[in-house]
Order: sequence, then structure tokens, then C-alpha cells
Amino acid sequence: MTKAIQTRSGPRLNVDMRRVATIVALTLFVGVLAYLVLVPIIRVQLLSFQDGAAGYRAAFSRPEFRSSLITTVQLTLGSLVIALGLGTTLAVAAINLPRRLRFLRMAPVLTLVIPFVASILGWVALLSPRPGYVNILLRKLPWWNNLTEGPVDIYSIEWIVIITGLTLTSYVYLFVSAGLANINSELIEAGRTSGMSAATVFFRITLPLLRPVLLYGGAVALLLGLGQFTAPLLLGGNAGVDVITTEMYFFTTASPANYGAAAAMASPLIVFGIFMVFFQRVILGDQSRFVTHGSKAFKPPGKGSKLAAVAVGLYSFVALIGPLLGLVYLSVSPFWRPVLTSDGLTLANFRKVFDTPNLTSAITTSLIVSVAAVAVVIPIGFCVALIQLKGRTHPIARWISDFVVQLPLGIPAAVFGVGFFYTYTREPFFLYGTKWVIVLVYVTLMLPFATRMLLSAMVALGNGYEEASRVSGAGAIFTYARITLPLIRPAVGGAGALMFVLLTHEFGASVLVRSPTTQVMGTALFDYWNFGSFPLTAAMAIVMGVITAIGVSIAMLVSGGRAFDQL
Amino acid sequence: MATLHLAELHKTFMGKPPAVPMDGLNLDIDDGEFLVVLGPSGCGKTTTLRCIAGLENPDSGSIRFGEDTVFDSQRRINRPPNKRSIGMVFQSYALWPHLTVRKNLGYPLKARKLKSTSRGWIEESAALVDCSHLLDRYPAQLSGGQQQRVALARGLVARPELMLFDEPMSNLDAQLRVQVRSELHELHRRLGFTAVFVTHDQTEALALADRMAIMHSGRFEQLGTPQDIYDNPATERVAEFIGMSNRLILVPSADGPTVNGVALEGTPLIERGSDPSTLRTRPEDLTVTPPEIQLAAGWAGLAGTVVDTQFGGRNFEVLAAIGESRVTGTVQSDAYDGWARGLEPGDRVSLSFRPNRTAIYSGADNHDVPEISSQVSEATEPLDVPAKASPT
Repeated sequence: MTKAIQTRSGPRLNVDMRRVATIVALTLFVGVLAYLVLVPIIRVQLLSFQDGAAGYRAAFSRPEFRSSLITTVQLTLGSLVIALGLGTTLAVAAINLPRRLRFLRMAPVLTLVIPFVASILGWVALLSPRPGYVNILLRKLPWWNNLTEGPVDIYSIEWIVIITGLTLTSYVYLFVSAGLANINSELIEAGRTSGMSAATVFFRITLPLLRPVLLYGGAVALLLGLGQFTAPLLLGGNAGVDVITTEMYFFTTASPANYGAAAAMASPLIVFGIFMVFFQRVILGDQSRFVTHGSKAFKPPGKGSKLAAVAVGLYSFVALIGPLLGLVYLSVSPFWRPVLTSDGLTLANFRKVFDTPNLTSAITTSLIVSVAAVAVVIPIGFCVALIQLKGRTHPIARWISDFVVQLPLGIPAAVFGVGFFYTYTREPFFLYGTKWVIVLVYVTLMLPFATRMLLSAMVALGNGYEEASRVSGAGAIFTYARITLPLIRPAVGGAGALMFVLLTHEFGASVLVRSPTTQVMGTALFDYWNFGSFPLTAAMAIVMGVITAIGVSIAMLVSGGRAFDQL
Repeated sequence: MATLHLAELHKTFMGKPPAVPMDGLNLDIDDGEFLVVLGPSGCGKTTTLRCIAGLENPDSGSIRFGEDTVFDSQRRINRPPNKRSIGMVFQSYALWPHLTVRKNLGYPLKARKLKSTSRGWIEESAALVDCSHLLDRYPAQLSGGQQQRVALARGLVARPELMLFDEPMSNLDAQLRVQVRSELHELHRRLGFTAVFVTHDQTEALALADRMAIMHSGRFEQLGTPQDIYDNPATERVAEFIGMSNRLILVPSADGPTVNGVALEGTPLIERGSDPSTLRTRPEDLTVTPPEIQLAAGWAGLAGTVVDTQFGGRNFEVLAAIGESRVTGTVQSDAYDGWARGLEPGDRVSLSFRPNRTAIYSGADNHDVPEISSQVSEATEPLDVPAKASPT
């Protein structure tokens, strides 16, 4: 063979110049990222310390503060207990479903897919004290037929906890299901052949192996419960049930707005979120103990259990089908009437949704900002994932970008909403009232998801394909373009569609950065909830759900049904 | 094609405990030479290969392709892998699953900007490995052996100065491995590329190598031709690694050496002073015979007891005890009228060998060069019995 490949012997400074260029690019990138995420939070926090921490005094000296704090703790812990118990039970039940009922496994995931605002509205349709459909049915029972309202009152802390818990259950379910799928079935079989009963195997082998998953899922549920905003805002208003995030919202939207006090309210949430992000590795500990090898996925012995089918079926009915039915019935009712009848059912509300310019423009805005945010956040996530994977020689950039990207997972969306509202209603970037501020918030909120999903796809891909490309003579960028990106395309597509779904029903941050002229679906729904007719709101919620469902279908198509495994 | 020169390569992985995959490696490989680096897992052979490729960086030292320095820690030269004239075959093959075989083979040409000058190279390289009919398939549609061949073709297609192989056959089943090995051997004979081939399989190493480097703990324990290393392993570790699995401690005494108190009979070994020494031999060089049969001239023997026997077709493998030591010897299945078939645990046997088929090491570190006993007899069989019993 003849010598074919000409390799340049470049000047000696080559290496150093490359490194300098890398450092400059990294600094710029990480700087922009840090500005995006940190500046809104820091600026508002600084504000709370002005005038001798007037914000803190205003926020914490009021008598209501104590009760809000207690309610927050109740909501957080209560929903955490429900989510952990129910989520784990459902995950275990789901793998034990009889073959014909396997499709029920999707039920807890679907709960997540329905916009939270919509499912809350569904619950209200069922359990509102006077016209709630379930309450109407319950009042037909002989021992309750003397009541004129109730017996269930959804506008109470108990039901806020239950509804939040049911939603968080889906998250725990996702984590535990993924954990169960990763347990090599031979470990279970080894337990059985060593003479353990199925129950012993579950408690002595399965559960201990799930420990990191439970811990992680629990931590996520804890953070979500702590930052819970939608349910208390929508349901707590009537009964005067307030939590930290709703108080923050009221400080921001009151006139005149008291940003210092809102920031002071947010402080404990921020501190806790940062703590969780910082210490997640410490909390999770050495994961290698829990790594289980082998590709034989967990398969339950036997033909499946009827009890499991009952459990998952009951959950699906209570958490998913019930509220949906309530919502659908409400949306086709001419007005909200405390009777169950098929008289006068109409599609007029849906026609009205598409005839109301406010609502149609909210739908378009939602679609535009969600797509734009996804388009922006995926390249950012790819870069951060690259820094995490290959940045061993740049530990500072690696550490900062990891921390910044994790932060939106720890800090509630509503807190970011306050920060972004305050930051972008003044110089240097006056963006309030435009779609841009919503895009920025959405990008920030999706950073952890984008990074995580792309990172896991790249980790799963391994180094082999890239190394083969490099030794074949391709440079780094050529390799990313021709090898890495095409190979992780399913993951990119799945991640994009999933984030689109999450963004189309984003509410917590949107409600703070929206302006009267720039609404998204969730906030428009909220306004109609407060001021409009319930049937119209229900129709709107269903439209929102359908749009989301289309997004989910695309996610499933693009990623081969694995979009949610990546969460 | 080119020569390859490694000088004083050092690398340490900080960890608990730190690992030293390269501890002062020096090596010069000739143009067209096929060098096999053989060593146990974790010895640093793959790290060395990846440093040559530029996928990892040594802490210090230099790497030259001919006159072209690709790495030099002092001069701060570190050429990235794509600026080194190499082709590489990976253990996992790493064929890009989203590209057809043709595009996989075309990729190095495109990446190295050789497209205009390389008309027909793809077809040529595919033909070399007998894969012309697979060009339009995707890697997932190929069998393991076919994937292996395509990976080889992809390494060769851009006609690099140096071919690197990272245990490329360990994912193949045993039969296919032998076949691919002989194909690779023939291909190298035909094309004459310079190659570094990393493996932990000694048979593969012996078959493919022009020269072998036995590696242990980041150092080359021995460099030499396969025959040289097979016959004269420089250290006990090398001996063990290339198949001399039987280990006997020889204790000198007034009446000649003993093993666990059992006297060595027959041809005496060279005296090696008053310290105990270690004898290494391969199972196939340790012949099991009935105890009453006399040793032939030039053979030495030890008395032992059978612990277990395994049938291996033409031969029986006999696990025997000599005092506390366990050794494995062989006996032809039909020798001595099928004597081996009746062997039971506890039976007494004689274990005999020709001293020039052993390696003997003395000294605490076992690092000295062995002196193979020179009493070579012409007898190819240990016994005064008819040739039917001839051991192989």
C-alpha cells in the first residue's frame, strides 16, 4: 500500500491555541447560561435585603405567614407520603398486571400528560361542594340526602394535598418503574431459587435495589410538593388556604407590587432547592452498589395478579377517568348546573373557544413560545451534556454548568417567574409584554430536562462510535455532525416533544411573566376560571389537553414509545 | 507505511488505588512489522494502544510515526487522533449503525479528504475482506464475523501508516476467531502494513505476531519473536502467561532436587546453588505414565497421585498431586492399552518431562533469565516402551 494520508505537522503552539479558544468559548457559554438562570434569582433576592431587609419584615412579620408556612409543610409532606406510597405500589402492581391489561401501565403516565390546570378543573367539576357531580350523587345516599352541599369540599387543604399527591404519584411511578425495569430478572430468580418466597424477595432484594430510585423520586416529589403552586392557587383561594408560593404570587401581582416581600417569601424555597442540588450526590451516595447488570428485563413470575389489576384500575378511574369525565360533561353543558342530565348538551363552548380572540391567540402564543423554547434549549442541553461528558480538563466550567442547569429542578417555577418578571421589566433587557420573556423562562425551566435526556442518550451511546470516527480522521465537529447527532436523533426528538408537552401546560412561571396581551393557554384558562364561565373554561382545558395529546403522540412516535423512560 | 517509536511513556490514573498503565515504555516497531502486545486485563496494553491512537494522552514521553512526532510531552506536541495516520479496529467494531457498509468504509476517506484521489478504494478494501456483496447493508444486518471484517476494511481503507487492533476478536465465538485470525494473518502477509495488536489470548498472539511484547503492570516483561518467548520465557510471569501453568518448587538436597519431599528421578537438572528454584512446564509437556514404567534417557520424573481426570478426546488431562502441589499432565487416551481410562483418584502415577521443555527460575524476584537444562536427549518419548505410547 502506498502512503495516502497526509497528516499536517502543525506549529507547536497549536495545542495551546486550541485550548485558549476552547476556554474562551466555554467561558462565554457558561457565562450566558449563568446569566440566564442566576441573575433573575439573585437580583430579586438582593432586592429583599434593601432598606434593612424590609422585604423580609414585610413578608415574615404578618400573622398569615405562620399559617402559610404550616400549610406549605402539610402540603409538602402529605403529598410526598401519598406519592411515595401510591407511586411505588402502582409501579409494582403495573409489572404484575395480567397480559391483557398491560395497557393500564400507561394510566399513571397519562395523568401527568393531562394539563394540571385541566385536571384540577375536572376535580372541581366532580367535587365542588354544591354543583360537584360526585357530591350530587353522594347526596342521593340516604344518610346524606338532607345536605344541600357537600359532603366533600374540594376547596380545603385536605383535598389540595390529595390532588397534589395524586399528581406527584405519577413522578414517583415513573422513577420506580424505570428502576424496576433495570433490575436484572436473574437477581430475582436467584432469590427464588435460593429458597425465598416472592414476598421475601420483594422486601429483601427488590426494595433495597430500588433505594436510590425511591430516594431520587422522593426528592423530586418533595421539591415539587414544596414548590406546588397551581393547586393551592386554584383551590385554596376560596377557603383562604395559602402556601409560600401563592403568597409570593400575591405580593408580586398586588398593586403596588412588593417584590422585596415576594423575594423574601421565595428565599426559603431557593435555599432548600440549592441545598438539594448541592447535596444530591451526597444524599444518593455510592450508586455503584445498586448498579445491576444484564439485559434481561424484570419479568414477573406467573400470570399476573388480579389485585394488581384492581389497584391500577382503581387508580386510573379515580385519578384519570373521573376528572376527565367531569371535565367533558362540564364542557358540553350550557352552564354549570347541579343536576346530571343529558338535556341541552351542546358543543357551543368549543365553538366559543375558537371564536374568542383572546383564547385563540393564547393557543398560538403557547405553541410558538413552546416550539421556540424547545428549539433553543436542545442545542444548549447538547452543549452542557458535552461539557459534562468531555470537560474533565475544564472542571470549573463543568461544575458551574452542571449546577446552573440543575437549579431549575430544585427551585419552583413560580420563583423563576417572579425573578424573570422583575428582571425583564427593566433595563438592560426590557422584554416584558413580549413573547421573548416567556421563551426565556421556558428555556430556563427546561434546561435540566434537555440536559438530562441528551446526556443519558450520549452516555448510552458510549464513546466507541465517536472514537472510531476520530481515528478515521474526522475532527470533533465533523464527528458530532455525522455520527453523534444522527445516532441520538430519536432521543433528541423524544426530548423535544416531551418538553413541548411540559411547556404547553406550564402554568406556575407563565402566570407571573404573562402580560394582558401575551397569554399562554394555562394563564388564559386561569383568567376564565376567575372571571368567565366554567363550561367555557372546561372546553378550553379539553382543547389544551388535545394539543398536549398530539404532542405526546409525536413524542411516542419519534422516540419509539420511550419518551417517558428518559425522565 | 512507517516505523513506530515509543519512548519513555508514563501514565498514571489517579484513583483508589492509583493505576499505572504505562511505566516507562520503550518500543521501536519496524516498517511492516506485526507487533502483538499480550498481557492480562488491566496490564495497560489497551491504554498504550489508545495513547498511540491519540484517544488518550500519556503523562510524559514521546510517540513518533517514522520521523513524524505525534506526541511529545516536553515539546508540548499532541496531535489529535484525526491528525495521525492510523486505522483502528475496535473490540466492539464500532460500525456506525446509521450508515451502510459502503458509507462506513467511505467515512475515513471523506474525513481525511481523500475522496477525489481514492476512486475504487472502498470496493477494493471490501474485496480484501470478502465483503463486496455486503456494501449496501447496514451493520445490524451483518453477522458478527461480517461486522468484524467490515471493521477491518474500514481500518485499512484510507491506507494508514499504522493499523491498531484493540482485542478485535474477543467478541467472536471460538471457531470464527480461528478463521478470522488466519484471514488477518494472510492479509498482513499480502499488504505488509505496520500493526500493533492488543490481546490477552496467547494462542492469537503466537499465531499473528512477528514480534510479541508481554506486558505486565505498565511494563514490557519480554520482547521477542513468538518462538523465542514460547521457548524461553524471560520471567516466571511470562512463563505462566504463555501457558506454563504447572509450577513446582525444587528444593536442592544432597541426593538431588526434591519437590515437596518427592525426589526427582532420571536426568538431573543443572544445579542452581543451594536456594530453592521454581520449575514451570506446560500440561502437554508433562507426561503421565504408569509408575512402574522406567524413564527414558533424557527424561526426568516425579511420583504423584491422581486427583481427577478429564477426557479430552485424544488425550486425558490428569490432575495429580505431588505432595502439596497440584499439577496437570497429559496421557494419550490409548497409551498402555487404554491405561488412562481406568485411572481413579488416589492411583499412583509417574509425571515425567524433558528438562529442555521446562523453564526454571530462581531468586526472590523471579526476574532472572532461565537457564534451560542442556541435557537434551534424542528420545522423544519418556519410556522404554513401544511407540504406541508416544506422547505428543
